[in-house]
Amino acid sequence: MIDLSVEIAGIKLKNPVMVASGTFGFGKEYASLFNLSKLGALVTKGLTLHPRPGNPPPRIWETPAGLLNAVGLQNPGVDFFLSEILPAMKSFEVPIIANIAGFTIEEYTQLASRLTVPGITGLEVNISCPNVKAGGMALGAVPELAAEVVEAVVKATSLPVIVKLTPNVTDIVALATAVTQAGAHSLSLINTLLGMAVDVNSRRPALGNITGGLSGPAVRPVAVRAVWQVSQAVDVPIIGMGGICTSNDALEFILAGASAVAVGSAHFRDPLAAVKIIEELEQYCIENGIRDWKQIIGAAWKGQN
Amino acid sequence: MEEPLKDHHCPVLDQVMISPGYYLLSLTAPQIARAAVPGQFVLIRCGTRYDPFLRRPLSIHQVKRERGEISLLYQARGTGTRWLAGRGKGDLVSLLGPLGRGFTYSGREKRGLLVGAGVGVAPLLFLAGELAALEWKLVILIGARTKAGILRVESFQRYGFVKTITGDGSTERQGTILSLLEEETKETDWEGIYACGPRAVLKGVQKISRETGVPAQISLEERMACGVGACLGCVCEGTAGEVLRYLRVCREGPVFDAGEVILHD
Ligand SMILES: Cc1cc2nc3c(=O)[nH]c(=O)nc-3n(C[C@H](O)[C@H](O)[C@H](O)COP(=O)(O)OP(=O)(O)OC[C@H]3O[C@@H](n4cnc5c(N)ncnc54)[C@H](O)[C@@H]3O)c2cc1C
Ligand SMILES: Cc1cc2nc3c(=O)[nH]c(=O)nc-3n(C[C@H](O)[C@H](O)[C@H](O)COP(=O)(O)O)c2cc1C
Ligand code: FES
Repeated sequence: MIDLSVEIAGIKLKNPVMVASGTFGFGKEYASLFNLSKLGALVTKGLTLHPRPGNPPPRIWETPAGLLNAVGLQNPGVDFFLSEILPAMKSFEVPIIANIAGFTIEEYTQLASRLTVPGITGLEVNISCPNVKAGGMALGAVPELAAEVVEAVVKATSLPVIVKLTPNVTDIVALATAVTQAGAHSLSLINTLLGMAVDVNSRRPALGNITGGLSGPAVRPVAVRAVWQVSQAVDVPIIGMGGICTSNDALEFILAGASAVAVGSAHFRDPLAAVKIIEELEQYCIENGIRDWKQIIGAAWKGQN
Repeated sequence: MEEPLKDHHCPVLDQVMISPGYYLLSLTAPQIARAAVPGQFVLIRCGTRYDPFLRRPLSIHQVKRERGEISLLYQARGTGTRWLAGRGKGDLVSLLGPLGRGFTYSGREKRGLLVGAGVGVAPLLFLAGELAALEWKLVILIGARTKAGILRVESFQRYGFVKTITGDGSTERQGTILSLLEEETKETDWEGIYACGPRAVLKGVQKISRETGVPAQISLEERMACGVGACLGCVCEGTAGEVLRYLRVCREGPVFDAGEVILHD
């Protein structure tokens, strides 16, 4: 068998394929479909300090090769997660990365320290949610503020800290550099792109929240570009995501400089997408005589020089 | 015990256009046929590349358990359903399901009123068959704008007494299905109303149920992505509790007690 293992910020993954936050819930719904321990890691739905009802419907609107969503971080809050959800997730035997979203720096640090418990392998700091008014992208689009959040989170936890960035900025490299200098151990690229649709039948905005985040194959070139630029500018490992549906899509990210990938919206079309990608990556390594697949990380730009 | 989630690749047995724009699609799907209850749905992958990207929810219209078959009744409306309408005998279609919470029934008097507006009759034929097998007495109200939208009358007649109504009067009566429902609930004591159709009709059913005290179950539609409860994309507003709470149409629904949800326009 081919060894697809990789280490991200001290987290040992048996393969580089995770499931992206918000597209896989807390794993429960898919646990009867396949053995979740096949995944590299499971990233939870975004957690906030207090429970949140989320945005009014409609929350989903399909677009060409993708979708807009405006869920608005509906989640039961960190305490409920810790007492009622996490214990059952342990049986999945998969590294669990908790995605956290605060509305102030103080909330981020409280979330980080409460989630520093056995059973949680790492934190993904979501400073890039486009669907809430405060915090989220409002903090994450300004390099100085983003760095402040990250510095505080790194102090509040002993877990590896992955910072998830928004593509809705002019200079993603500046943002990536700022949070890496602030202590981020790894970066997730990218969260959804801010978008909107109008329903021509009702003549109203299609989403209850008016604007939403675009994901799916439509955003893949934007994500690949972000990984390409950022991986050449920082030294921390990058988790690439945005429209990955096949192993070729995953390879595109890896060749552009990602050390791991996350599969999100593809699950809506094929709930077995992540597992199939893992199997296909193994096959790819066999067929191409790749013994250590890590040698191809960033090969698209390394080969240039 | 909940059925394990599975993506079934099902061969098409037969597909017929039963009225302009409306299709009846039969598939070989033994596991779905065995596990499904009335009101549940499947998510169908449409198109080959990413057009459309998301799967389409369709109610289970009929099951033939011994033969391992199911059928779907749908209106070809856009990219997804038009793609589906192009499938023929032997083609494989990917179905995730059965999904969601279906209708519940445990009457003593066994008198039920089914309300299907337009293609909303889709989940009701399966329900009518199950209730009839339990010796329920059924009246089935079917309404649509025109005669072309009045579907499957003969099939329903096997299970109960059917009354139809159209907006343009091209069948026995002219008017709205809600006016029929109002009459029915005045004349008889029903144990339950089971309804599916456009939101405006379901709002009317909620109102009549409240006023007459006859419990109603309504099958809702919402845009879906995952269909299994993971993405929180398909919610409607719930009524229980002090704080605002959204319910997942794909998980807590699609069938809700009429009093359980608030329907906005
Ligand atoms: C649980 C559930 C069960 C359903 N069962 C049936 C059924 O048995 N038969 C049937 O004909 N239809 C059913 N529908 C509606 C069906 O899913 C939509 O008509 C279908 O998704 C349209 O897809 P499309 O690509 O053809 O159209 P699109 O091009 O996506 O849209 C065409 C029209 O359909 C509407 N539409 C799109 N998606 C949905 C949706 N999820 N729910 C409601 N309207 C939508 C749009 O507003 C638009 O007016 C069901 C919906 C749900 C949520
Ligand atoms: C319905 C939905 C909900 C999401 N929820 C979250 C979330 O809670 N936290 C987060 O960091 N990202 C969230 N995302 C973003 C995804 O994790 C991912 O970054 C993005 O969708 C791009 O990947 P994809 O194209 O493979 O989906 C969500 C995406 C979708 C489609
Ligand atoms: S469609 Fe994803 S939760 Fe219902």
